[in-house]
Amino acid sequence: MIRARDALLNPLIDENPVTLQVLGICSALAITNSLYSALVMSLALTSVLAYSNVVISMMRRHLPASVRIIVQMTVIASGVIIIDELLQAFAPETAKTLSVFVGLIITNCIVLGRAEAFAAHNRVGISFLDGIGNGMGYSLVLIAVAVIRELFGAGTLMGAEILPTVSNGGWFEPNAMLLLPPSAFFIIGFIIWGIRSWKPEQREQPDFAPLAADELRGD
Amino acid sequence: MDNESPLKAIMVVTATALVCSILVTVTAVSLQPIQRAYRDLERNRHIVGVSGLLEVTDDVPDRQIVMAFQGLDARLVDLDRGVFDDDVNPDTFDARKAASDPEFGVPIPAAQDIAALGRRSRLVTVYVVEDADGLQRIIFPVYGKGMWSMLSGFLALESDLNTIAGITFHEQGETAGIGDRILAPNWQARWRGRKLYDAQDTLRFRIAKAAVDPAAPDAAFEVDGLTGATVTADAVTNLVRYWFGPHGFAKFLDNYSAAGDTR
Ligand SMILES: Cc1cc2nc3c(=O)[nH]c(=O)nc-3n(C[C@H](O)[C@H](O)[C@H](O)COP(=O)(O)O)c2cc1C
Repeated sequence: MIRARDALLNPLIDENPVTLQVLGICSALAITNSLYSALVMSLALTSVLAYSNVVISMMRRHLPASVRIIVQMTVIASGVIIIDELLQAFAPETAKTLSVFVGLIITNCIVLGRAEAFAAHNRVGISFLDGIGNGMGYSLVLIAVAVIRELFGAGTLMGAEILPTVSNGGWFEPNAMLLLPPSAFFIIGFIIWGIRSWKPEQREQPDFAPLAADELRGD
Repeated sequence: MDNESPLKAIMVVTATALVCSILVTVTAVSLQPIQRAYRDLERNRHIVGVSGLLEVTDDVPDRQIVMAFQGLDARLVDLDRGVFDDDVNPDTFDARKAASDPEFGVPIPAAQDIAALGRRSRLVTVYVVEDADGLQRIIFPVYGKGMWSMLSGFLALESDLNTIAGITFHEQGETAGIGDRILAPNWQARWRGRKLYDAQDTLRFRIAKAAVDPAAPDAAFEVDGLTGATVTADAVTNLVRYWFGPHGFAKFLDNYSAAGDTR
């Protein structure tokens, strides 16, 4: 029996979907150049995860194996479309900055991953907590990356100036590279490195043993 | 019932599809008026921005935009005849939708279809800016196919109906950082003062391949290119040339300039 506390809190660090399982990276690269978009995206993904986990858990005894994935995708896609429509109606500016990435939640591996790995075998309540927990794990990484990128890339947080930039008469020279998507790749890499140094049990076993030097020589 | 029987699979799929489609449809339909109102407001913000009536920044409140937009004179132009058409209400007429309507839409001859539109409406809404001194500007809608997406915007002409007063794009889906540089305010500012037609009434406007040499004979008709985004820039050249060419507003502009007014 999985305990509620574990379902909710394990995905934060110990089983973080982004840093341990390296899922859902694409959106983490795309929308983390401002904290505000990262927050909205986090909220959107967490709601979709919670919703899809609940619905799929409710259906779990009636899901024929042959059509399981397609039914799960339909449920997820509908939830995402509804969130996208809501954003476009009530937060049109944000919807514009997040553009296609809200729609791409449909293909975010975390959502289908949790549906398959967890919700399809567990009860509704605990599946809901698992959705919220994984959503928060994703959000944690997104927010950390966004804070670094926005603060050092533009000198602002949530659009408000924190480090006065040279162009505004201050002292801080922003690093524009941080505003470009590849920088998120490096930051996530460093975060994963940090976590795995702190918790060595998260390190993956190498798929192949490296060849010893004498084997390479072919003796 | 056995979970693995084909009947069960069909039932589950059908029920899921039905419930999901109802949910999505209800949401989409019920939110559509709100979304459309925002879209119109956003579009009107762009129109007011090129009208010269108001310096539009992100800080200008919606209320002020709505007031300024109300002050513009929306008129329908009949492109084929080149005159105003006041029989249809310009506020509710949607030229983009009308393009596929058999009553209003006309096919564009392939040789002239440089903006890759296929069809266009016979009637198009323009916005006339007038004050006590007479005509100030006319704002024309322009749209055409870019590299990845439809680019649509508004081009405002000064009262000589030849000098560009402003350009703006309210819809585009080009690559961020590449094609979407057509939105950059300092690039759009370079359109100001450029001319569409030369003294012989030949359409000369285009976006150059690179920076324009101010001494070149064509400099008055050219805007600096966007290096690395030539595909999008060429699409913008083509859509301007389509809408101000013989199948676009050229006839209307001729009539309007000749008569001073075509009411
Ligand atoms: C992923 C990707 C997206 C691109 N998006 C655009 C675009 O939106 N607009 C554009 O004009 N060129 C875009 N390009 C570049 C064009 O393919 C082409 O190289 C460029 O327009 C040529 O411009 P130049 O002659 O000034 O170098 C893109 C290229 C790639 C690889």
